[in-house]
Amino acid sequence: MTVWTPSDDGFADITSHDAYLAGPPHNTFARMRRDDPCAWTDYPQGEGFWSITRQADILACNGKPDIFSSARGIRMEDQTYAEYLARRTFQETDAPDHMMTRIKVARAFSPGVVAGFEQAIRDLCDEILDEALAQDEFDATKAIARQLPMRMLGRILGLPEADLPWLVEKGDALIANTDPDFTAHVLDRMTTDEFRLMPFNSPAGAELYIYAKDLMAQKAAAGDTGGVLHMILQPAKDGSTITEEEFRNFFCLLVAAGNDTTRYSIAAGIQALCHQPELLAQMQSGSVWDTAPDEIIRWATPATYFRRTAAQDTELHGKTIRAGDKVIYWFASGNRDDAAFADPFRVDLSRKPNPHLSFGQGGPHICLGMWLARLEVRVLFQELSRRLAHIEPAGPQKFLRSNFVGGIKELPVRLKRT
Amino acid sequence: MRVTWELPDGSTITADVTDGSNLMEAAVAAGVPRVLGECGGNLACATCHVYVAEGWQAATGAPGEFEDAMLDATEAPRGPGSRLSCQIIASAALDGLLLRVPG
Repeated sequence: MTVWTPSDDGFADITSHDAYLAGPPHNTFARMRRDDPCAWTDYPQGEGFWSITRQADILACNGKPDIFSSARGIRMEDQTYAEYLARRTFQETDAPDHMMTRIKVARAFSPGVVAGFEQAIRDLCDEILDEALAQDEFDATKAIARQLPMRMLGRILGLPEADLPWLVEKGDALIANTDPDFTAHVLDRMTTDEFRLMPFNSPAGAELYIYAKDLMAQKAAAGDTGGVLHMILQPAKDGSTITEEEFRNFFCLLVAAGNDTTRYSIAAGIQALCHQPELLAQMQSGSVWDTAPDEIIRWATPATYFRRTAAQDTELHGKTIRAGDKVIYWFASGNRDDAAFADPFRVDLSRKPNPHLSFGQGGPHICLGMWLARLEVRVLFQELSRRLAHIEPAGPQKFLRSNFVGGIKELPVRLKRT
Repeated sequence: MRVTWELPDGSTITADVTDGSNLMEAAVAAGVPRVLGECGGNLACATCHVYVAEGWQAATGAPGEFEDAMLDATEAPRGPGSRLSCQIIASAALDGLLLRVPG
């Protein structure tokens, strides 16, 4: 059996957050890949855009940052230049600015450094799973998936343990800012002018700004030289230092990205275990760990899309994309493209090669945290699978109301321990 | 030009590479294991790390500023001759180049 089957009629409004309430509208993406792989998409809230839906096209466009720029915004929403300047992180820059920031943080998230976190992650997984699996029936997103990424990020950043629940809550509000379960300020249902210069257009961004600023001051006063935050506050080789605004926006990015993406990968992996019973034995055999994390992350596709903006006129599939046009890479679609993945709606923990796009592969903005994400997913499922004799759904799953973050926000499960 | 990759087990893979292309793309095309190039040759992931063999390091040159920084973010330890192969461009002057793939 397959894990999940799309239910949309093939003509969903892919810009609408509500279109994702039953999971991504994959019948619509399949039709677009087949009939119009570079489709002009109307956007009721602003300027329309080009939708790139095939895996090979996304990969090829992503490798041409000179043509498809990140420096005009990376979300579907239009923003003024003032908003862009105030909110941007290094995600919203092109070379060489992007590399100027990236080289300050790359080592802290490099595979060699991240490998050193394995035991700490395993210890955290022990704590989280011992507590969650004390019950036979629970919401796996809340009890397992939501816990690990933020607690781990807190340790990497050197944040006080007591602050972590608050940060999880703010990270949720920041990135799931279109789901009323996570924020009282639902982005498309109110005018949030008051917050328009804040990261993610959210009051949670304002609070995180203040937290980050205070944290920066406290660490400086205490001479604290631990954690990645200290590393990025150091002057670069040319003597330049990160500005306060850059630092605050980067901190918000770490909280949002470190919080959501791995959480929803873990949730999607547990969902797969519930619906493809053979996966548990494969995990328990120990033979799939080189490939399983990437397949779980493909299956999850936590970032549904990222946007670029054409810096010059260019052609794709007979369409002329004009300079200034918005272009959206639909990773959710590319990761279900049967031209790139055999049986894409089936989770195959041994899939190799696995040319998925969940990390933005093929381009300069490839996920900084991908090594940490792979490691967290591997260790979590190693520890979970060895404790499980059986796991099954205990009720309907619920997806986030978001066209941007693909996530199962409620995943009721019933299980038997080994 | 012709390039040889020496794998950690001592075996080798040799390929003809078109002048002007980069040696990460050439390695991926030739199926060289452990040279991944996940960022598409944009200096952002450090997954195309190789060691340029002694005797070839002057010809391939020193890493640029950003490459130098990214070489501190590789999976295998940085060593003499460490380069990101997406930044080495095939040319006649490099014909016969030997690259060692990290273990």
